[in-house]
Amino acid sequence: MRALRVLLRKELHATFTSPIAYAVAAVFLLVTGYTFSLTLFFTKVANLTYIFHQMYVLLILLVPVLTMRAFAEERRADTLELLLTAPVGEVWIVLAKFLAALVLVTCLLAASGAYAVILGLYGQPDWTPIYGGYLALFLLSCLLVAIGTLASSLTENQVVAATCSLGACLMLWFADSASYMVPAPLDALVIGLSLIGHFTTFVSGSLFMSDAGYYLTLTMLALFLTTRVVTDR
Amino acid sequence: MSQPPRPAPIDGPIVSIEGVSKLYGSVAAVSDVTLEVRRGEVLGLLGPNGSGKTTLLRMLTGYLSPTSGRLSVDGHDTERDRMAARRRIGYVPESLPLYSHMRVSEFLRFMARLRGLDAAASDAAVAEVALQVGLGDRLAAPIRTLSRGYRQRVAIGQALVHRPDILVLDEPTNGLDPRQIIETRNFIRGLAGQRTVIMSSHILGEVEKVADRVAILLQGRLLSVQSLADTPDLEALFLSLT
Repeated sequence: MRALRVLLRKELHATFTSPIAYAVAAVFLLVTGYTFSLTLFFTKVANLTYIFHQMYVLLILLVPVLTMRAFAEERRADTLELLLTAPVGEVWIVLAKFLAALVLVTCLLAASGAYAVILGLYGQPDWTPIYGGYLALFLLSCLLVAIGTLASSLTENQVVAATCSLGACLMLWFADSASYMVPAPLDALVIGLSLIGHFTTFVSGSLFMSDAGYYLTLTMLALFLTTRVVTDR
Repeated sequence: MSQPPRPAPIDGPIVSIEGVSKLYGSVAAVSDVTLEVRRGEVLGLLGPNGSGKTTLLRMLTGYLSPTSGRLSVDGHDTERDRMAARRRIGYVPESLPLYSHMRVSEFLRFMARLRGLDAAASDAAVAEVALQVGLGDRLAAPIRTLSRGYRQRVAIGQALVHRPDILVLDEPTNGLDPRQIIETRNFIRGLAGQRTVIMSSHILGEVEKVADRVAILLQGRLLSVQSLADTPDLEALFLSLT
């Protein structure tokens, strides 16, 4: 755990001093703020469902940009050799990179909590879908960051890492569309892989363990694969 | 149940490499190398580019796993007991990898903490190593602003900050100006007796001036290990072997 603390501090420093983090934060908050204001102005309904779906799309597009540096930059600069010859397990290196990116994304989600506060101050929103929505966005962020970290561990080119990560996330988003081409009972498996299918239930205020389990299982699988990639030398 | 690793006797070899090979597909980067390094000596790995020096050092430091064979550091197997083995090594890769966005003191402290020193011990170790490698006036400088010579001092500093028994240097004089080369040579010679140093070089004169013994590698194979005191003409030996 001491190694994780040391590595996490270094990763957080690298993350929060990178201009990429601030560019992504600016785009995320600007776009969601614009949509929130516009939706509230036209509908006058104390509801964040639109915003949650927009954040879902924005996270899929922006998280690969945040995570592309994780291992690719270390490989390019050869600093991965320093980390991997230090007496720390590869799993701590992977977890530190994962957690640092997740902290940043969580900060973005926390900042967007201002929209919920505004609704609470001036209206009477139904809080269950709002809590569910934020829980879904957090779980989605875990999975996206884990996929991005995995993609970054496979290459030393950041653009390739971001592209592969984006491609994987988009394929998961649209996985349920492929169910029409797959015979039963495999079609249920393909539908079960869909990102959006497990997201909309949360946002509607219905919390299922199976949906949370989907995000957590795939997150752990991606982190496990990343550790394998980093360990296999 | 496997037996715990047995520490090497105090006067035994500190590094033991037994029948080590590393294959990339069907290409052997290192082929069946057996070598022992004595405590406190400076061993030079000499060979042309592509002879397997870096691969051998990377296997010793735990960055690469051998395809076959066994390496141990102070009795600790680099695969089965890799954390204990890594704690005993300080490593300076050829490319001098450093975190350019950090300041020198920040980087040295990070490396000290990463290698198990607590906060107070890290501060003391950073101050000590800064004096040792001549970085006292550059501790607050961002690494990205440093010259090649100072970057090399930082790289050596990070390798020594946890006071390892063994210092591994991959082509330590590459890219340095003549004065820096002389300083680096003197620095390495100054470590002899206090620490075991393993350095690689493709420059015969470098090894001749710094090492106690030389191991000559060619195409991944170890051709010869000689004491330099017993080798009056290293150039002739090298030419006769290669």
